[in-house]
Parts: sequence; C-alpha cells; structure tokens
Amino acid sequence: MKKVVIEHLARVEGHGGITVELDGKKVGKVHFDVFEGARLLESLVRGKRYDEISPILSRICSICSVAHSLTSLKASENAFGVKVSPQTELLRELLYQGENIQSHALHLFLLAVPDYLDLPSAIALAASKPDAVLLGLRLKKLGNTIQETIGGRAVHPVNAVPGGFGTVPTVDQLIDLRKALIEAVKDCDTVIDLMASLPPAEFCHCDTAYAALRSPNADNYYAGDEVVVASNGDRSSISGAEYKKLANEQSVLHSHAKHSSFGGKPFMVGSLARLTVNPQRLTGKLAAATERLQLKLPATNPMDNNKAQAVELVGDIERALEIIEQLLHDGLKDERPLKIQVRAGTGTAITEAPRGLLIHSYTYDAEGRITAADVITPTALNAANMELHFRRVVEQCAEREDKVIVKRLEMTARAYDPCISCSVHLVRKQQRQ
Amino acid sequence: MKPLLAIGLGNPLMGDDGVGCAVAERLACDPRLPEYAEVICGGSDLLRYAGEMEGRDRIVVIDAIQSDTEPGSVEIFEGAGSGLDDRQLDESQDHVHNLSAVQAIRLLEMLKSVRCTLVGISISSVTVGAGLSPTLDARMPAILDNLLQELSRCSSEQ
Repeated sequence: MKKVVIEHLARVEGHGGITVELDGKKVGKVHFDVFEGARLLESLVRGKRYDEISPILSRICSICSVAHSLTSLKASENAFGVKVSPQTELLRELLYQGENIQSHALHLFLLAVPDYLDLPSAIALAASKPDAVLLGLRLKKLGNTIQETIGGRAVHPVNAVPGGFGTVPTVDQLIDLRKALIEAVKDCDTVIDLMASLPPAEFCHCDTAYAALRSPNADNYYAGDEVVVASNGDRSSISGAEYKKLANEQSVLHSHAKHSSFGGKPFMVGSLARLTVNPQRLTGKLAAATERLQLKLPATNPMDNNKAQAVELVGDIERALEIIEQLLHDGLKDERPLKIQVRAGTGTAITEAPRGLLIHSYTYDAEGRITAADVITPTALNAANMELHFRRVVEQCAEREDKVIVKRLEMTARAYDPCISCSVHLVRKQQRQ
Repeated sequence: MKPLLAIGLGNPLMGDDGVGCAVAERLACDPRLPEYAEVICGGSDLLRYAGEMEGRDRIVVIDAIQSDTEPGSVEIFEGAGSGLDDRQLDESQDHVHNLSAVQAIRLLEMLKSVRCTLVGISISSVTVGAGLSPTLDARMPAILDNLLQELSRCSSEQ
C-alpha cells in the first residue's frame, strides 16, 4: 500500500491536508484531514447581548466578515421579529455584493489562475502576466471600497447594526461608487477573456448535488429563506428553520470538520451551486459569459466552480450598479436603526457567503442574551463533497505519479475556494549565523 | 508626484502584532509629521492599498518583525529581498488567503514600480488582546523618532 500525502494544503479553511492510499490501481482511503483546532466561538457568545453578537462572530473570517456579520444580524432580527426597511435591505445587499467582488477577485487572480498556468504563485504570475494580477487587484479594491463605504471599513463592518445602519451613506458617496463600478464594467470582458484563455482543467467528472439559496431575486445573496438542493434533475426544498436536514453534521475520525449530507449524499455549495439552482440569473452578459466559458449546467467537473465565480463577478458588478441606481432613484432616507424589542425565541438566517451557504441560528432569552448559537460555514458543508471529489480525481487519474496526483488534488481543493481567517501575521528576520 | 506614503500593518487585537498600526496612528497625530508624508493604518492586508501606489515613487511599510534584537528595536529593510527570512519569499505562496507582508511588498515592487522600505519593529510575543505590551509602549517615543528620521531619508532620496 502506497500513500500520497499533502501534509499542509495551502489556502484552506484552517489547517488541513489530504491523504490518499493506493494499492496498485486500487484507490483505498481518501481523507480530507482538517486538523484545525476547535474555535469555540459559538460558546464565546453565550450570555452576550444581541448587539454584541455580530461584531464577535464576524471574526470567524476576515475574507467573509461581511457575510458573517450580516447573517448574524438577520438571525437576531428573525429571533425578535424585526423586519428592516427596504432601503436597509438594499444597502445590505450592496455590502454583500462588495464582499463577493473582492473575494472572487482575490481567489481567481491571486490563487487559482497561477495553478492553470503551472505557476507557483501570484508573484510568478505578476512576472509573466502582470495585467492579470493588476486586474485582480483593481477588482479587489473595488469590492473593498464598497465595503468601506457601506460597512464603515473593509473588514469586519461596524456600520451594519441590528435594525439597520449606524450611518446611511451620502448621495455623493453612492455617486462615487457608481463611477467606480462603471469603470469596472469595462473590466468584465477582460475577466471572461482571461478565464476563457486558460488551459482546460478536467481531472474528474461525476454527478454532483448542488445546494444554494433560491432567493426571490436570483442574484441577491442576502434575501430568501429557501434552500434548494438540485441533484440529477430533482429539486428538493428546505426552509431556513429546517436547516439541520442539510447541515446534519456527523463527526468523522480523521477530521475536525464534521461532514453533512442530504438524502445520504454529500453536496456542493458555492458559485457553481448558485448558478445551478438559479439558472434564471443567466441572461444578458451572464449568459454570454457562461457560453464563452463553455460552462454547462449542471456541471460534473468541480473545477467549473472557478468559471462560475468569473460569471458571478460580472453579475455582481452589474447588480451592485443596479442597486445604486435604485437607491439614487428612490432617494436616500436618513433612516435610524429600528428600535429592537427583545423577546425569548430562536432565529435562523441562511445567506450566500462568497463560498456558499452560511447558516447562523441563535436562541435568545427574554433579556436578549444568547443561550445557544449554531454557526455552519460553507467550507464545513462542502467538506464531505470535497473528499468525494478528491477520490474521483485519484480514481480518474490514469497516471499514478505522485506529482500529478498532488497537483490535481491541490487544484481541485482550491477550486472550492476554501477559506481561512488570518488574524496574525509576522515578518521573520533572517537569523544571524 | 504624490507624497511619500507610510503604511502601518498589524492586527491591533493581537497585542504587539499590532505595533505597525499603533505607530501609524501615533504618527498621524504627531505634529512633527512632515508635509511630504501621508500615513495609513493598513490593518493586515497590504494589497488593499495597491491603488495607493499610483503616482508614488516610494512607500514605507511599518510592521512587526520577529528578530533576535531587543523588543522595540527598529530595523530597516530596503525591498523584499534584503535580509528577510527567505521562506517568506518562497514562490509557492504557501500562506493562506492573503500574501504575507513580504510577498505583498515584492508583488507591489514588481507591478507598481514603487520602491518599498520596510521599517521592522522587533517584538517578542503575540497574544490575544488589544493594546501593546508595556515594554513596547515604553519604546514608542524612540520608535517614532527613528521612523521620522527614516521618512526624512526616504524623502531625500526621492
């Protein structure tokens, strides 16, 4: 029995690796080993007041801090029966689009594209295709600017609060954002051209179940309460309150990430799932981008998640622009956050974070303090399906060379865009001899 | 040409790791801050400020360093390849989502043709919690003096 081990898989949610056992042509165990320690954030918020929860739980992730923050607010508001104003809904959606733009731009151009070109990093990509990296940085900055303008800062927004926003942006700020987005529209064709120019990456094909929010407006990551699981032509529907049918987390011996399944099968969440569940979104520029990228839905190749992110990037820029036009057309109202009347009860919110379904569910006591919190991230929901795809990659790899298997596994893992929060960084100086 | 830009990096919620941001905040309020310089408290994502490099010849990045010198000592590194641990320049980009500060400096040097000076402040520990350690806090006046001298030197070389 031979083992292929990736001890430290770069760019995953926490620390993880992959272990594959091979017995000649027979594939034995394939494990996605997530050995990140428990973070205990759900315990940390027990006893805290409702207005402290969002800032604490946004710290789960710096890349997805808007998603955690807004999903947290929505869960608390659901628990207290609060319905925010249409203007708040629009501003929150805009904030969410900003996060998706920065997250997808970072992933595609700094993490995924180098893989396709057999380059080790964004630094190497900058040497051979500087325009690609500059494009990614430009779009990342656009997303960050939306987050700063609406959320108060680019990471861990402070302006989104229970019942609304601390401060409503000014008309001038929205006009500046509109100008930046109009400039970005010019980049959209370049994004699709670049992605279409990449060599094909087909390491495995298999039928996949996809789970995503079916929102009333298909490109709204924040609205809606119905999750649809699409599998082999069937569509099953789950309400927010029934989320444990989907997030039925089971412990596995080799991983600290629990595995979930639906109807006994693992499933995939993220961009590819969103487009599969919401095909009505694919009109106009998005339909053209999908065709240009030869993205066929439902996809059988997990690498297509990168193409789906590119399509979404185009759609997010378009949608952000529409939201701003609507806000300007309707006229901005200087709304104060709604007054919250706390009560005992449970509230659940499901939204679409850049990497897929994100669930926050809280139970409050009569004083508005949390007695139980449950947070389920997209990477946790994807864990079982990632493992399934890793197995298929190895099974369908005709070459048994370790280097080839490792490269294909790493690229497949990165196509899921797994996420990690990065709180500390240090520069290490060369030690004196 | 835009003014010389100083960007402080670090996580203010991780003790001395946040020293770059703390220095930037104090520098921004310091009456000695010269007119030819601008200051940004940059958090932990240098790439977010790539657009700020347009029209600048030089930037100064202030960050915590793990070194064998006394905590609070200031060391100057010209560019990403000058005396810093080679592992941080490893092109495999094994860091998680963001590039390390040194990798980000290299990337910006390549893409933006901007000269980056890293002002490293030696720290001895990183702990969860806001605020600097008493040792580093006590060294802050000397750190600011050093930084102002460095800004003056960089400005004269522009």
